[in-house]
Amino acid sequence: MIYDIAVLGGGPAGMAAAAEAAQRGARVVLLEESAAPGGQVYRAPPAGFTVPPDADSRAGDALRATLRQSGAEVRTGCRVWGVGGGPLVPMDTQAAPFRLDALAPDGQSFAVQARALVLCAGTHERIIAFPGWTLPGVLGLAAATILLKAHGMLPGRRVVVAGAGPLLYAVAAKLLKAGAEVPAVVDLAHSREWARALPALAVRPDLLARGLLWRAQMLARGVRVVSGARIAAAAGGEALERVLVGDTWIDCDALCIGHGLVPATEATRAFRAAHRYAAEAGGWVPVLDGDQRCSVPFLYAAGDGAGVRGAAAAPASGRLAVLAALHDLGMLPDHAGARAAPARDFARAAKAGGAMARMMALRPALVQAIPPETIVCRCEGVTRAEIEAACADGAADMNQMKQFTRCGMGPCQGRLCGETAAELVAMHCGGRERAGFATGRLPLRPVAMDALLGDFDYADIPVPNAAPI
Amino acid sequence: MDVIAKPDRMKDVAHPIRIAGISRPADVAFSFEGRSLLAPEGENLAAALIAAGIRRLGEGQDAARPRAALCMMGVCQQCLLRVDGRLAQACLTPIYAGMVVTAA
Repeated sequence: MIYDIAVLGGGPAGMAAAAEAAQRGARVVLLEESAAPGGQVYRAPPAGFTVPPDADSRAGDALRATLRQSGAEVRTGCRVWGVGGGPLVPMDTQAAPFRLDALAPDGQSFAVQARALVLCAGTHERIIAFPGWTLPGVLGLAAATILLKAHGMLPGRRVVVAGAGPLLYAVAAKLLKAGAEVPAVVDLAHSREWARALPALAVRPDLLARGLLWRAQMLARGVRVVSGARIAAAAGGEALERVLVGDTWIDCDALCIGHGLVPATEATRAFRAAHRYAAEAGGWVPVLDGDQRCSVPFLYAAGDGAGVRGAAAAPASGRLAVLAALHDLGMLPDHAGARAAPARDFARAAKAGGAMARMMALRPALVQAIPPETIVCRCEGVTRAEIEAACADGAADMNQMKQFTRCGMGPCQGRLCGETAAELVAMHCGGRERAGFATGRLPLRPVAMDALLGDFDYADIPVPNAAPI
Repeated sequence: MDVIAKPDRMKDVAHPIRIAGISRPADVAFSFEGRSLLAPEGENLAAALIAAGIRRLGEGQDAARPRAALCMMGVCQQCLLRVDGRLAQACLTPIYAGMVVTAA
């Protein structure tokens, strides 16, 4: 069977997109990697766990309830590793239905086909390399929120929180509430950057109030908030023992650090859609029209994966994408009427989200400060010095640097090192646009060969007799 | 150079790392590198190992470069382990009774 619409990713954008499509009578399937829909911000706790509700869990539960009631087919625990169809067909043949290849929770491979594809792939965290960042005990800010909120686990007992953006204070407040010590919050932003962001936050008094409450909690608990500062190094033996801020070493057993969010563009890159570099939206993003349409017909992107605008803006962008898809498929007569409300919601929420995204944009000074011997690519063990040597030897963009050094060829597929490496290449070749991005390749995620092979057996390949010499 | 020293509490292994106020399923037994461990059924494997004080999950290309859970969302592949013989990301794997976990 061929679905009208497939939605890849079950975060706030994907949940709203699939629900909207099902409510309007489309045959829709949603594929999600986690055991339950929700995405990272609204991640559901594991089955059997009951976590006291908060504002985020209530928003997530509401989206999950709408999705359930919509009747959309939802397949969770499915790892999508392959994309095909659409424009990815032999030359001079018609565009085909899109195809998503995935592994089910039981390890079985399956594929779905759809006439339109809505990508709601979300983001991953940007962590710019620094000396000692490979020590156990160093983890992402987003990782810390998942540990704290979904798994009910402290990342450590004495935790330094560092990086940029609102997640910094959200994580610190949650750590304090859960009983951890927080010796310091190290914010890349100066207070004046927060002051500049305040007017945009006026449309979201709830967020503003939450942020002010967090700051008050830091003050009351005597947490040192260091503004305009970075973690210069992390040190320890078997695991993290201390971090360096300015000329002060701070003892800790965990460091939660994040330098912003990067849209996940693996699928749009694989489809060879047009992209543009937008630092304020998190980096390379697909080129979209006002209704989330990509440059490839019947391909749409929504949520933070289409440019970081925050979880509050994501559902509206997911709905816009699905309404455009239904219109393009000839299934929605009154597109203009249907899109008015989500377009308005998106514009309003994106204003506050955009202000936060700007604070989380990549800060080139962080990359410039990386010592030469620091490992940038953890999978392949590639240092800053090796990347710069490749550039000096003639690697003129990300693909060439990758081929020279193997940076980005490991199992994380460049998701962890890509931002640091691209900035280093950009410093040599004259900007991120010139540095470009690694060509999108399959598999989108690492996948075991035996799962791909299924029943295939090499012994079944007919081997012709060797030609006589 | 200043040092903000750690208080003794950091060494206090009794200080709970599992956050209070969350209802969890009953513990089940599993093993990591031959060591018997307990964790609530369905708890995330990467989280359960942090709770057990196990941070170092493997080595990178050189021995000086350990691997540990970093992203907790299935992206970084740093928490790769073998679960009942199959490669799995600890951060995407729920605990079940009798699961045998070894280094990747």
